[in-house]
Amino acid sequence: MKSIFITFDISHKEEIITMLEHNNCRGFSFFDQMQGRGSKTGDPHYGSHAWPSMCGSIITIVDDQKVDNILKEIKRIDEATPQLGLRAFVWDIEKSY
Amino acid sequence: MSIYESSVKKPIMTSLCFMAIALFGLFSLSKLPIDLLPDIETNTIMVFTYYNGASAEDIENNVTRPLENTLNSTEHLKHITSNSRENVSVITLEFEFGYDIDDLTNDVRDKLDMVASALPDDANTPIIFKFSTDMIPIMMISVKAEESQAALYKILDDNIVNPLARIEGVGTVSISGAPEREINIYMDPVKMEAYGISIETVSGIIGAENRNIPGGTFDIGSNTYSLRVEGEFDTPQEMLNLVVGSRNGANVYLRDVARIVDNVQERSQRTFTDGQQGALIIVQKQTGGNSVAIANAIREELPTLQKRLPSDVKMDIIVDTSENIVQTVNTLTETIRDALIFVVLVVFLFLGRWRATVIVAITIPFSLIASFIYLFATGGSINMISLSCLSIAIGSVVDDAIVVLENITTHIERGSSPYNAAVHGTNEVGTSVMASTLTMFAVFFPLTMVTGMSGVLFKQLGWMMCIIMLISLVASLTLTPMMCAKMLKLQKKQSKLFIKIYTPIQKGLDSIDNGYAKLINYAVRHRWIVLIACFSLFLISLLCAKGIKSEFFPANDSARASATIELPVGTRVERTQDVALQLTNIWKERYGDDMRACNFTVGQADENNTFASLRDNGSHIISFNMSFVPSDQRDLSLDMICDQMRADVKRFPEIARSNITSGQGGGMGGQSSATFEIYGYDFAETDRIAQELASKLRENSMFTQVTISRSDYQPEYQVEFDREKLAMHGLNLSTAATYMRNRYNGALATYYREDGDEYDVKVRYEPTSRQSIEDIENILIYTPSGKSVRIKELGKVVQDDTPPTIERKDRERIVTVDGVLAAGAVLSDGVEYGEAAIDNMDIPLGISVQVAGSYEDQQDSNRDLGQLGGIILVLVFIVMASQFESLTYPFILMFSVVFAVSGVLLALFITGENLNIMSMLGGIMLIGMVVKNGIVLIDYIMLLRERGLGIIQSCIGAGKSRLRPVLMTTLTTILGMIPMAISQGVGAEMWRPLGVAVIGGLTISTLMTLIYVPAMYCVFAGNGIKIRRKNLKKQRELAAYWSEHKHEEQLKGKDVNVKR
Repeated sequence: MKSIFITFDISHKEEIITMLEHNNCRGFSFFDQMQGRGSKTGDPHYGSHAWPSMCGSIITIVDDQKVDNILKEIKRIDEATPQLGLRAFVWDIEKSY
Repeated sequence: MSIYESSVKKPIMTSLCFMAIALFGLFSLSKLPIDLLPDIETNTIMVFTYYNGASAEDIENNVTRPLENTLNSTEHLKHITSNSRENVSVITLEFEFGYDIDDLTNDVRDKLDMVASALPDDANTPIIFKFSTDMIPIMMISVKAEESQAALYKILDDNIVNPLARIEGVGTVSISGAPEREINIYMDPVKMEAYGISIETVSGIIGAENRNIPGGTFDIGSNTYSLRVEGEFDTPQEMLNLVVGSRNGANVYLRDVARIVDNVQERSQRTFTDGQQGALIIVQKQTGGNSVAIANAIREELPTLQKRLPSDVKMDIIVDTSENIVQTVNTLTETIRDALIFVVLVVFLFLGRWRATVIVAITIPFSLIASFIYLFATGGSINMISLSCLSIAIGSVVDDAIVVLENITTHIERGSSPYNAAVHGTNEVGTSVMASTLTMFAVFFPLTMVTGMSGVLFKQLGWMMCIIMLISLVASLTLTPMMCAKMLKLQKKQSKLFIKIYTPIQKGLDSIDNGYAKLINYAVRHRWIVLIACFSLFLISLLCAKGIKSEFFPANDSARASATIELPVGTRVERTQDVALQLTNIWKERYGDDMRACNFTVGQADENNTFASLRDNGSHIISFNMSFVPSDQRDLSLDMICDQMRADVKRFPEIARSNITSGQGGGMGGQSSATFEIYGYDFAETDRIAQELASKLRENSMFTQVTISRSDYQPEYQVEFDREKLAMHGLNLSTAATYMRNRYNGALATYYREDGDEYDVKVRYEPTSRQSIEDIENILIYTPSGKSVRIKELGKVVQDDTPPTIERKDRERIVTVDGVLAAGAVLSDGVEYGEAAIDNMDIPLGISVQVAGSYEDQQDSNRDLGQLGGIILVLVFIVMASQFESLTYPFILMFSVVFAVSGVLLALFITGENLNIMSMLGGIMLIGMVVKNGIVLIDYIMLLRERGLGIIQSCIGAGKSRLRPVLMTTLTTILGMIPMAISQGVGAEMWRPLGVAVIGGLTISTLMTLIYVPAMYCVFAGNGIKIRRKNLKKQRELAAYWSEHKHEEQLKGKDVNVKR
């Protein structure tokens, strides 16, 4: 089991959820209206006057074999719309209930 | 879920909601009446008090004064004016606008009750009369007749008046100029004297003979019959055989002493149309009637009615107020259509996408149509104001939609799906769109609170603009994102044709962007030069203000003119008619095809003619009614025609006074006139001053017509009876006076009945025996003892002058001198000239001269508009300050209003339009539009600074990025106004100043704002940074000092504590 933390421009929301469903990931947690800023090029998403857009994030816990495919899909979406901002980070799940 | 999100999610609901609004709007539109101006509330009450036998001065002292003193305390009273004439006092109470006339009437009635006991015993109870605009006739139909002239009254009364009066909304229909039938019995005074018969006897006998008397019922056998005496005459000539007396045992028949003429009333009005005699039918509408609908119904009915008339009677509509209304409305509708096309074109040019254009354009009809619902709900009408309002709004309603659409497009271009872009894009700009609409509210809402004459115009406009803005705001936050989500998509490939057409436009726009970026780069680096240049341009434009003329209200060419021409008092009606015909010929010849009809009426009006009794009439007075072809079909303006006519009238030495009015007279839209009021008790002194002022005004070519309100002394003959002699013969004054009246005015003997109509039978002297003073002196009066005595033995006939009508205003005697300004001359100059003339005159103590009339109205409305402008500026400042949470930035933006002022002044100066209520309205609307541009610019500069850019870079970047939206919204507004400013149609002269003012002000202020705002921003922001740095430096130094001397400072503090 691995956990994928996907953080994205809020307008990606539907697309990401659809993509997860396509990959048979039923469970996820979604954090709406978050603030954030990319490490290198990404515009800040502050919901402020200067930076009105906002981020959203999803944490999903998936089987190891699904991870690559999901990351591939995410990369594809990101490259299609580089200005919006979309990143995913993966780490191990040690235990779960 | 926010409103935009749910509307994007539910496209059916959103679109159907707007469809419902549109449906309601169209339904309301179909029900709305059409009129020229919004309803002008009635604010005038008249009080008539009859006191028979009293002279003007008696009336003034005994009736008018006590009434005035009491009525003066009525609430909301603006002016109280009065006319004291022989027998009657007419007091006119003018109230402030905006109060319920019924309440005011009740107040007036209460006051009258209070004063009733103070009035003379013989005075009648005062009558209250509410004057309203509905009394202005909506249609006049001229009738020409030849053989049928004598019977014209009856023909028209039966065949035309009754059917017309049945049409819905028609109030009164009256006939003027067609005398009614009358049976005249002309007695020969010589024969009467010979037979010893008096008029009183004859009239008594005729009255007694012309009777049907029921005799009750009686029974014969088993039946009951009624019994009657049928004595009424079947033909008037039957009366000739009546026995009126006896002489030496022989009967004296009426035929022996009199002749019967079955003809028309002796004294009556005659009407001529285009030189041919006939009559005039005047149609007045009921209160609240729809002029256009009534006029259409009458027009429809007339051909049918024409068929019922004898072949020589021809009808023709000479005045139809609806015509001007319909044409004006049509011109404005064209203006709106043109504006719509312009706006859509501009949007397409800037956006370069037809889908986006459709989305933006669709908000226009929805917002505009919604305003009809308001009009319908409040009982408004389609009129000049409401249509101009639509025309003004077209340019501004797209602004919100454009801002939203632009942001959504940016999102789509960044890669969002249309749906997400619509929701988030709208979310981002929602607040700033609301704020900018709020500034428009700040401008238009105060307009709804204006009172007075200008309130009539502004109230409707204010409400409509607020509603249109509200709907356009809602549409831009719901309909626009919904349609964007459905219709917009990322344009990946353009069609070849589109590329071919749009590439040059795109290049042009890009080069404008780049050019502007360079300009701004220069401006922000040379701030002070730029600012000095901007403000010197403002100062230069102020110089133009000297060359701009001011007036109250633009003159409206209604293609109608009326004239009242007076010959010396007492001129015979034949002579008057002659002059009128000569004038008609001159005018018919000169204006030819331009003049549609020229109608005049001369003579004394019958007392039961409602329309005629409202106007001055008399044997020496001619009333002209002229109609012309619409203004766009003739070269000469109405004012010029009137000026020429006045010159013609001046060439007739016999004409004593004349008053030629363009338009409907009274109210708005006529030629403006400078009115001077001379207050003072002494007749001779005030007359002298009035004459002097009038002759000074006449010297100046600026005035085409100068009239003095006080009429000439009326010459008359009076019979002064010697009461002692009367008493010696056993007579009293009223018996003697009645004898005289019966012989001259006639005694009403009886009514002759024919076909259900009644006609007066009047007995009097032969006309040939009523032509000299000797005739009066020779009148025989029979004493109770049966002896006859002549008037000359009882008294003498003397010539005298009766004093004129005594006019008063605000409880003081007054004479007004009224100078009508020639075409092209302006009110402010006229008033200035008049005031200079007054200063040079020797005005005795107790007499004062004041400027009133439209100049007073103008001053009032200027003051109102000034206050309004102030309130609006403060409100706009409040809105902006709350949006930016700053006091400096709104301050910068408020200065752009200054440039709008210079734009308005320059535009008026160049086009030669006058400064009037319409151009000032334009100026007020500019406040909102101008700061809107500034808001967009400053908002983005602040955004860029928040994103971490430097001041100068932010200014350049913001300028480059916001240039297009600013240009687009400005161009839509300006181009939306262009059809208004250049329109030449009927009525265009009314709103042209508005269009010119807005275009001029907006063009200059936008150009200036684009340069001035970044420069000014740099100045303020630069200062802000300097101050902040200074503060930081101070704090740093303080902190350094503290860390160094901390120990010592703390010790000092302890010392202080110990000492305490």
